[in-house]
Amino acid sequence: MENLKEKEEVKDKKNLLEWAVFWLGLALLLSIFTYLGYQVYNHKPSPPEILVEYWPEPSEAQPNRYRVVVRNTGGETAESVLVELVLEQGGEEVEKAELQLNFVPQGSKREGWVNFSQKPAAGATVSARVASYQKP
Amino acid sequence: MKDSLNRPVSESLKEYARGIAGGLLFSFPLLYTMEVWWAGFIASPAQLILLVITTYLLLLGYNRYAGMREDASWRSVFVDSVEEMGIGLALSFGVLLMLGRISLSGMSVEELMGKVIVEAMAVSIGVSVGTAQLGADSGGSEEEGSAGEVGGQDEGSRTGSLGTAVLALCGAILVGGNVAPTEEILMIAVEADPVHVLLMAVVSLLLSTVVMTFSDFKGTNPKPDKVTAYSIIHDTCISYIVALAASAFVLWFFGRFENMSFWNAFAQCITLGVLSSLGASAGRLLIK
Repeated sequence: MENLKEKEEVKDKKNLLEWAVFWLGLALLLSIFTYLGYQVYNHKPSPPEILVEYWPEPSEAQPNRYRVVVRNTGGETAESVLVELVLEQGGEEVEKAELQLNFVPQGSKREGWVNFSQKPAAGATVSARVASYQKP
Repeated sequence: MKDSLNRPVSESLKEYARGIAGGLLFSFPLLYTMEVWWAGFIASPAQLILLVITTYLLLLGYNRYAGMREDASWRSVFVDSVEEMGIGLALSFGVLLMLGRISLSGMSVEELMGKVIVEAMAVSIGVSVGTAQLGADSGGSEEEGSAGEVGGQDEGSRTGSLGTAVLALCGAILVGGNVAPTEEILMIAVEADPVHVLLMAVVSLLLSTVVMTFSDFKGTNPKPDKVTAYSIIHDTCISYIVALAASAFVLWFFGRFENMSFWNAFAQCITLGVLSSLGASAGRLLIK
């Protein structure tokens, strides 16, 4: 019986590599728990908050191209985000271009481009608005 | 060979290699499923914590009742489970990075961590099963020869109701988890008539019964001689209940019950239950 117990203890013995993997794994797990715990503690349920930045970025094939960067600073992921860029000339809406994004997770950014069919003339303004998004 | 004072490094390297192969084998379908990536950033931090804890408990159960060194002490089971989770996290991070699903710039820590954690849980169960299963040929027979006396005591713990339920749970999660995050479950459940749902439940029960009564998978323990009606009903009930519970948990995690009527949620459980009940009954025999 004693012999058996001894044998079991020997089998349980781990070498350096296994201990290293164990401690690394434990450190990973603990840091994940710390991080998630901190998040839970600070988590305030808030709807998505979508910010849009845009600037002209013409290319050879698409001279009227605009680059669009969408950021979500809210507390929740937004699904099916629809961004509209409106080209206005003399106070009148001339053209509208749309960008559809599948998901914009909280804290993350997504990028895309839109194209207008005509070159914005001098004095024209381009404005952006987030038309819609849904709760995933 | 294993009785030398410390396990040789080459031995543990082999074990890790088996674990990694198994982890990828069982979790590649999930690593390549977009609904799972989405779950990473949709899930709340509290849900992620719950997922990690649940997976750790599953690993403990699996390692205790089916792990390769089933004669190991609880301390060893705890240590092994942590190792497997660590490997799972590292693998998940590496594969997602390779697939371009995570990037280190422009992506919030929440999104990155969420994706890695959700995938890592599937991978670490795979690592655990892989370590135990892929090495069963060399390790298993050897151990039986050298440690026959432990085997006897082991039979008892393995055939107990708790052990059965734990293995059924692992099998159900392993098989059912692969399709649970997909939209198809929702689509089938929402479009099903009550008669379809009833049919699915009956088929699940039949499958479980057939598997447990007639199948004799290679390498499994010989069944006890007496197969009574009672034991069949008992086993079928355990595995179906466990399968439904596993289905409900996984579906809830992927947010499939939000704003759903009771009927739709129930129908989803039964729909997924067809797969997870097969996992609970067949998986239980295969992965032990």
